Amino acid sequence: MEKKPLLEVKNLKTYFYTEDGIVKAVDGVDFEVYPGETLGIVGESGSGKSVTSLSIMRLLDPNGEIIEGSQIIFEGKNLLELSDDEMRKIRGNDIAMIFQEPMVALNPVFTIGEQIMEAILLHQDVSKTEARKMAIEMLQKVGIPEPEKRIDEYPHELSGGMRQRAMIAMALSCRPKLLIADEPTTALDVTIQAQILELMKELQKEYGMAIILITHDVGVIAENADRVVVMYGGMVMETANVRELFKEMRHPYTWGLLNSLPRLDIEQERLYNIPGIVPDPLHFPPGCRFNTRCEFADEKCRKEIPPLYEVNKEHFSRCFYYQKVEEAQKLKKAGESA
Amino acid sequence: MSEKKVLLKIENLVKYFPIRAGVFKRIIAWVKAVDDVSFEIYEGETVGLVGESGCGKTTIGMTLLRLYEPTSGRIIVGNEDTTYYFMPYFKAKKYIKKTYIKKFENEDPEKFTGIDKKYYELYKQLGESGFYSKLLSNIKEKRSEFRKTMQIVFQDPYSSLNPRIRIKTIVSEGPVMHKVIKKSEIIDKVKAALEEVGIHGDHMYRFPHQFSGGQRQRIGMARALLMNPKLIVADEAVAALDVSIRSQVINLMLDLQKKHNLTYLFISHDLSVIKYISDRVVVMYLGKIVENAPKKVLFEDPLHPYTKALMSAIPVPNPDYKKKRIILTGDVPSPVNPPSGCRFHPRCPVAKEICSKEEPPLKEIQPGHFVACHFPGSLK
Repeated sequence: MEKKPLLEVKNLKTYFYTEDGIVKAVDGVDFEVYPGETLGIVGESGSGKSVTSLSIMRLLDPNGEIIEGSQIIFEGKNLLELSDDEMRKIRGNDIAMIFQEPMVALNPVFTIGEQIMEAILLHQDVSKTEARKMAIEMLQKVGIPEPEKRIDEYPHELSGGMRQRAMIAMALSCRPKLLIADEPTTALDVTIQAQILELMKELQKEYGMAIILITHDVGVIAENADRVVVMYGGMVMETANVRELFKEMRHPYTWGLLNSLPRLDIEQERLYNIPGIVPDPLHFPPGCRFNTRCEFADEKCRKEIPPLYEVNKEHFSRCFYYQKVEEAQKLKKAGESA
Repeated sequence: MSEKKVLLKIENLVKYFPIRAGVFKRIIAWVKAVDDVSFEIYEGETVGLVGESGCGKTTIGMTLLRLYEPTSGRIIVGNEDTTYYFMPYFKAKKYIKKTYIKKFENEDPEKFTGIDKKYYELYKQLGESGFYSKLLSNIKEKRSEFRKTMQIVFQDPYSSLNPRIRIKTIVSEGPVMHKVIKKSEIIDKVKAALEEVGIHGDHMYRFPHQFSGGQRQRIGMARALLMNPKLIVADEAVAALDVSIRSQVINLMLDLQKKHNLTYLFISHDLSVIKYISDRVVVMYLGKIVENAPKKVLFEDPLHPYTKALMSAIPVPNPDYKKKRIILTGDVPSPVNPPSGCRFHPRCPVAKEICSKEEPPLKEIQPGHFVACHFPGSLK
């Protein structure tokens, strides 16, 4: 496992300055993405998962600022030190992104062909006819029927699933090394979601790119990610490979989250409740961000932010009492098998 | 099952929406949102209605509550036909003539069952004009009674509460109008209702924007509960909530059901939630019911290819869970021009020639297990 990471995010802090105060949307996030792998980032609304991805792409709203000391290192270069021009060369070329709502992300007044060709023409030295040919090829690859005809259609003429396919075609047209997919299937029906996720897996195999898959759907993560980052309140709560996270979680939030899901694969008596509500990012509690809703929290948790403990090889948990979670999980497993 | 009392019965429910175009706004086509749907809901159970967007599940909920008028079909609550309750007088009369008088004059009375039988006896006893006036009298009270029986909790907790009025008014407006509670009791009753759903009673003077999504959904529950309903239609009531909040609201709904002996029609696109909450599941596709079965039967032995594909498409939060994935090709067709024969046939992996020609009826394959497929169980 001595691979070199493709992307390293170090101590990323992104704050938004609003009329009501400073929103610490992302507050000290670290993770790496290795070539060819799928890293899942899971979290609820307001956990900072989307802002993390926008920070990597440097596409923040004007009132958002990446705080000094943050580092986003892509292939040895710190993206935060690049000029806008240099960043533009990377964006769409080396790192591409697909968004949740394809109807909003696509421009309604250009055909999908024009939009895909724009990316190709910007980053590659090809003629217009060649670019068009490449665009048709890409559309075919993402499974759009009759690509020669569809290339001249406008986004509103396509269905939701087809639009998401067109978005993927656009994102992959320059063969990026890293694809950031921010809730790529949330707006789609489950049967269409299955199609899109399958397509992304196939294309990943073919192109060997790394994917950051951002979603709130733990099921999607379980089936598609290799490693998982669990975010809560702008911080990483737990990082592990996908098997270990689902079987041997060591953070109370992950534990609660996984036990509060209604599931198809097992019979459940009663769902677990994480008490309380998701904290307002303007007023995070002092200490551990999860302490207001945590069963194990004590005075220490209300004062200090716990560090990321390495609880196992390549498995980190931001909790003082991760052993207690281990015990709770053991008890639960014993109860299940009994 | 048969001893259980039927609370609500839907017969051949149809709801079409017109598409208008041109200068004169002529009707150029119909959106066939719900097309000939029948099912029953028993007292005290939870029926899960599941399907993808555009399958008509929300339309069914709205039509049941008469927020839409049905195009045709019957909605029977308890022992009364309620279909005509919200029609204007002459339309209601026409409906009664078409549905009952003609039937009573032309058909063999021996064959009448259930509500037809009951109404036939009334008809014989009172005569035609007496029958009309009996059914059409006290229509206001009947409407009010209907509203007290059925309530709804909506999907979007942000648009379903009026932002300009206080929670107290939001929760008490309906019950006061229908005289379920007296004006003098408002404060006590609202407080009790809010505390029942886990919201501090003093918060009744707040406005909706001061609450989070989960809390608003609780307020929606309190509003429905205060009417003392028998049936609550929950239309994607937890879809907009975060995972950690969702389980809170689901558990709350189950607790309230036990306490008040409520019946739920739980509409959702999420099979995992449906599996957890329902006693019986109705699966819809493009305005039709494709499968209707008790939960256990449906999840252990789904017979319709669509149900199977839908189940296999749900991501399961367990990396070790192996399943055979059936990936459907294509998109859901438009309900304006549904495919001929079985509506699922263009996407069905096991469709044969007959499927594109003949529409499969909803057949009872085992007691309580209905499937609309020519080749049930053929998709392995």
